[in-house]
Amino acid sequence: MPDSLTGRRRSVLHETRCQTCSLSSLCLPLALEIQDMDQFDAIIRRRAPLKKGETLFRQDSPFTSVYAVRSGSLKQVTTEGSGDDQLTNFYLPSELVGLDGIDEEHYPGTAVALETTTVCEIPFDRLDHLSESLPELRGQLYRSMSKELREDRRMMRLLSRKTADQRLASFFTGLSDRFRRRGYSPYSFRLSMSRADIGNYLGLAVETVSRILGRFQSQGLVEVSGREVHILDLESLILVAEEEGAR
Amino acid sequence: MQHHDRDDSHYLTWPARLDAGSGPAALTRALTERPAGAPLALHVQLPFCRQACRFCASQRVSSPDNRQAEPYLTRLDREMVLISRLRLDHPAVQRLHWGGGAPAFLSLNQMGDLFDRLDARFGLSGARERDFSIEIDPREADVFTLRHLQALGFNRLSLGVQELDLRVQKAINRIQPRVLTESLVDEAERLGFHSLNLDLIVGLPLQTPEGFGETLDQVIAMAPARITLRRYAHLPRRYRPQRGINKADLPDAAAQLAIMGEARDRLDAAGYVPFGLGQFARADDSLAMALEKGHLGRDLQGFTPCPTSDQVGLGVAAISRVGDTLTRNAMTLTDYEAALDASRLPADVGHRLDAVERMRRDAIEALACRHELNPSLLTKAHGLDATVALADALQRLTPLCEAGLLERHGECLRVTAEGVWSLAHLLDAFDSRASPMS
Repeated sequence: MPDSLTGRRRSVLHETRCQTCSLSSLCLPLALEIQDMDQFDAIIRRRAPLKKGETLFRQDSPFTSVYAVRSGSLKQVTTEGSGDDQLTNFYLPSELVGLDGIDEEHYPGTAVALETTTVCEIPFDRLDHLSESLPELRGQLYRSMSKELREDRRMMRLLSRKTADQRLASFFTGLSDRFRRRGYSPYSFRLSMSRADIGNYLGLAVETVSRILGRFQSQGLVEVSGREVHILDLESLILVAEEEGAR
Repeated sequence: MQHHDRDDSHYLTWPARLDAGSGPAALTRALTERPAGAPLALHVQLPFCRQACRFCASQRVSSPDNRQAEPYLTRLDREMVLISRLRLDHPAVQRLHWGGGAPAFLSLNQMGDLFDRLDARFGLSGARERDFSIEIDPREADVFTLRHLQALGFNRLSLGVQELDLRVQKAINRIQPRVLTESLVDEAERLGFHSLNLDLIVGLPLQTPEGFGETLDQVIAMAPARITLRRYAHLPRRYRPQRGINKADLPDAAAQLAIMGEARDRLDAAGYVPFGLGQFARADDSLAMALEKGHLGRDLQGFTPCPTSDQVGLGVAAISRVGDTLTRNAMTLTDYEAALDASRLPADVGHRLDAVERMRRDAIEALACRHELNPSLLTKAHGLDATVALADALQRLTPLCEAGLLERHGECLRVTAEGVWSLAHLLDAFDSRASPMS
C-alpha cells in the first residue's frame, strides 16, 4: 500500500513539467520557447504537496529559492517585534512566493499553506544564472517583481485611506480578477483563508469583516455560504471598492 | 474664580428642577403630542467603563468584563420597544450619540447589535449629512475599533484626553500615554470622521499651569477640530470615586485662574474660537461657521451646528428633551432596570416648561448661541413682557455690564469677547434655583 502511494506520488511529480502545466502561460516560463523551457524545467525542484497549515519557509530562514504556486494557496505572515502577526500576502496558483527575500537573503515572513498546496521550487542562484542567457526569463522575472511592487502599493493605499467597506470590496474584486486571469470563474470561488486571516490582511477586526459580509449580502452584492463566494454584482462591488475616501 | 460645585454642562438641561414621579407620563405625553414628521435625535447612555477615574461624576458601572453589559443591552432594547410603541412619526434618525461611561467598553459585536436594534426600532439614516457621534476613551479603543465604528455608520468622535501630565494622570487613576490618542486622531482622519473633539479637564489634582500648558501644546499639535475644557467639580460626598482625590492636591483659585490663562493664550494663538462653557473650535469647523451665521444651537451634548430637534435619551440617567418637556431616566442601574422589568418607561423625573420658563430657556439660548439678549424680540416671540418675566435675571446681569462681560446696545445686551470666557457666569443670572440635576 505505501509503495503504491509513493509510486503514484512519484508519477504525479513526474508529470508536472512546465510544458504540460496549465499555468505555464501565467508563470515564469510564459515567454520561453519550447527548447528554452526545457532548460528552465531542469532547474525546478518538484516538491511533495504541502498539507494545510504546513510551512513552506519560515521567517528569517536563509533565502534559497523562490516558489511558484501550482495549486492551492498560501499566506505569508510576518511576526513583528511586539509578537503580533501581520498577514502580508495571499498567494494563488502561478504566483511567485519568496521574491521579497532576495535582497536580505532571508525570508521576511513565514509562508503557510492554506489548503493542500503544491509548489515548484526554483533555486534562485540557478534561476539567476539561467536568466542571463534567457532574456525572456529575466524579463518575466522583472515583470513578476514589478507586479508585486504594484500590488503592495495598492495595498498600502488601501490600508492607509480606505474604509472597512472599501477594503473588503477591494479584496473581493482583487480576488475575482486574479481568478479570472487564471481562467477560473471571476464570480464564484472558494476562499481558502479564514475570516480572521482576511481581517488580519485588511487591518480589520474579524467582527467587522463578518458585519460587512452580512451587509454586502443584504445589498445583493455577494452571496457567501461558508467559504463559497458568489459575486452577484461585480460592477457595484467595484464601485464600492473605488469610492473615494470615507462616506 | 472658586471651586465650582458643578460643571458647566448643567446649562444644557435648564430648567434644573424636575418633578419626581412625573417622568413616564410627561415623556409619553410629549412624544405623542409631537408634530408629525418632526425629526428625532437619539442619545444612548452606556454607563460602563473598565476602571473608574477618580474625577468621575457620571453614573458608571466599572467592570473588567464586557459580558456585564449584556443585561443592560437587553433593558435598552426594552426601552426602545416601549418608546417605539408610541408610534412616533419621524423621518430616519439623522442625529445619534453614544455617551458614557465608555461606549467602547462594549465588544465590537455588542456595538453592532445595539446599532442594529436602534435601526430596527427607529430607523437610522444612511445619508451623508447624518451626525452619528460617539465618546471614546482612548484606552478602550484602537484603530480596529474606529474602523468598526466607521463601518457601523458613526462619523464623529469625541476622545477623552483629560490631561497628559503623568503626575496628574496618576492622581486621577487614568494612565493614558499621548500616543494612544494620537494614533486614534490620525486614524479618525483617514476614515473621514469629521469635527473630532478632544476633551480636557481643568482643576484636576496636581495640575499646574505649566503642565497643563504643555498638555495643550500637545493637544493643539494633534489639530483637533474641536477642544472642550471641562471643569472638575469636587463633590466627593456625591461621587464615590472622587473620594480617592486628596483635596490638598487640587489647584486653588489662583492656580485655576493661571491654568485657564495658559489655556486661553494657547488656544487664541492657535486660532481656536471660544464659544463659552469650555467649548472651542477651529474657525473652519462647522461650529464656528454656525456661530458666524447665527444658527448655532445647543442640545444635551453641547453646542451644535444642526438645528436642535427633539431628543430621546435611552439608558441610565439619560435625558430626553421633547417639545417643552424635559425628563431624566433613573440615575441608578437598579432603578433603571426595575422600571423596564415592570414594562415602565424609566424616566423618573420630568418637567414641562410653562410660558415664563419657555422664555427663560430661549433667553439662555440667545445668550449662549447668538451672544445677545434682546428683550423686545423675546416679548414678541412669546407674547409676554420680557422685562417683567425676566426682571430678576436682567437685574442680575446689570453689574456684569459694568464688569465688561456684556455691552448694552439700546435695550439689547451683547456678550463681549471677555463675556464669552465667562458665559457660565452670565447664564447663572437665569438660575435662581438650586440645581438638583447635576
